[in-house]
Amino acid sequence: MLEVASVYKSFPTVYGAEALFRYRGRPPRRTVLSDINLHVSKGELFGLLGPNGAGKTTLLKLLATLSVPDSGRIEISGYDVVRQPRMAKSKIGLATSEERSFYFRLTGRENLRFFGALAGLTGRRLATRIDEVVELVDLGYAVDQRFGGYSSGMRQRMTVARALLADPDVLFLDEPTRAVDPVHAEELRRLIRKELVDKHGKTVVLATNLLEEAWSMCDRLAIVNHGRIVAIGPPQSLDVNLRSSSRYRLIVDHLDEALLRRARAIEGVIDASAEACEEGMALTVELGTDGRSLTDLMHAVASNGTLLRDVTSIQPLPVDVFRALTTPEAP
Amino acid sequence: MIADRVGPQPDGITKVVAFFMRDWRMSTSYSTAFWLSWVAVLVDVAVAYFIGSLVKPSANFGYGGHIGTYFSYLVINTTFLRFQSIAVQTFSLAIRDGQTMGTLEVLLSTPTNLALIVLSSGAYAFVYQLLQTCAYVGFAMLFGLSVSGTNVITLLVFLFLAILAISPIGVMAAAATMVFKKTGPIEFLLTSVTTLFGGIYLPIRLLPAPLQVIGTLLPITHALNGIRAALGGATLVEMRVDLAWLLGMTALLLPASLFIFAYAVKRAKIDGTLGQY
Repeated sequence: MLEVASVYKSFPTVYGAEALFRYRGRPPRRTVLSDINLHVSKGELFGLLGPNGAGKTTLLKLLATLSVPDSGRIEISGYDVVRQPRMAKSKIGLATSEERSFYFRLTGRENLRFFGALAGLTGRRLATRIDEVVELVDLGYAVDQRFGGYSSGMRQRMTVARALLADPDVLFLDEPTRAVDPVHAEELRRLIRKELVDKHGKTVVLATNLLEEAWSMCDRLAIVNHGRIVAIGPPQSLDVNLRSSSRYRLIVDHLDEALLRRARAIEGVIDASAEACEEGMALTVELGTDGRSLTDLMHAVASNGTLLRDVTSIQPLPVDVFRALTTPEAP
Repeated sequence: MIADRVGPQPDGITKVVAFFMRDWRMSTSYSTAFWLSWVAVLVDVAVAYFIGSLVKPSANFGYGGHIGTYFSYLVINTTFLRFQSIAVQTFSLAIRDGQTMGTLEVLLSTPTNLALIVLSSGAYAFVYQLLQTCAYVGFAMLFGLSVSGTNVITLLVFLFLAILAISPIGVMAAAATMVFKKTGPIEFLLTSVTTLFGGIYLPIRLLPAPLQVIGTLLPITHALNGIRAALGGATLVEMRVDLAWLLGMTALLLPASLFIFAYAVKRAKIDGTLGQY
């Protein structure tokens, strides 16, 4: 459905007359995407996650034919976005994060009528489709009001409605729940996941900064950092980079400074910290993968005369995974 | 929930109508400005009448050696100047608006031909200007303009060809806006040159000989010749030289301007500046 192979993209660092005269039309360029490879299957909800400026929107614009790669290949439903842009465009719907991308003097319906016509819809079919999509995003009550009077959240929902107009096979959604209130954001997520993907088999590429949204909605995620995909796979599998260590929480009846020092001195213990909890004291440790350090630690606790009440493994949170993958040292 | 599949459809009149309706609705949403523009037509005619009354009728202002009034000369030329301004400015303004409003990227993400996008963005402006021209001539008739001997076919053909021949300049200005993100200087330069050398305010035969050459090369000169001759009753056959010139310019400039515009869009896509302003 969607293939991206070895895509690189750079932008000039200077524009206009300076680029033309000082650099003779060949200004220096800054690489913003490097060696991007993706395959998104039909009916998959694929997430692009990354810090601000990582390259998510640039990648989305490449996919939506609004930019062209320096090298590499992008195909949508078998159509090359550079060589066959018109056919590729007929397969996609784009919801930009730019909520201003409407005509403020026109009503919501007039806006959708215009964009629907450009997408190839006419007459009754267009009118029916407008009614359908505005109901989907819960804007039926406001569709005949001037767009300029819409709130930020309503405008954002309208971008999703517009993307759905021509019933495209592939949807590119750039932060669709940004500025949307929690109730409508949840409804939008349900619409995308349940209605569009699960029920109607649409392929969705979702760029977002919201970790929980990405983790809970997407079949697979690509984490983008500094223009590179640093991890890709189902959300549950993305903690692979954290598997060089594991975290445990030991509940003990008491914990003194000497025990904490002994714990930290054990070979294989990367970090150890203590805090009070309901059951007594909690010793949280990060261990290497040699397998012996947990046993040594438990032995140290016992030999200290401390009662060990419970030991639990701590699974990494999405934010831990994200932080680990997007730090400057990440691959 | 999802309607029947909708495949790509060929670009066509429905998309042109969509652009027209969009611009008509936006224009009329500024109701005060909309109605004031019609009042401005009446004021313009009155100004032309009073200036015209200061100048004696002369063969310089008529077609084929006939004596004409400066009022009729001004009416025809300023009417045409309005068309030229629209042709030069409307396309680049549409691109500029699309950049600042954030709609340009969305337009370009639809399966719509680039030429159709840029040319249709002027559809409403041209129709509106045509109606304003009718009003202009109507008011001028109240002030004494005579159109009784007009050859309507010659007039319409020259008007249509004039728009086609001048529009490429506007499309090239739109291409410049796509790359340089600014309207104004190019349109100003083009309008000034054509106004001065194209015989808007005075016949080009009154210009120094070298400047007459520049005037002769401009499409506006031949368009004005044809329109003025049409008001004097000239047929298309009589005006074949100007007709051929306009046709040739259109055949040359229109595809060239669309090619340049397409290149500008490609350049903006390469530089990642499509939505910037």
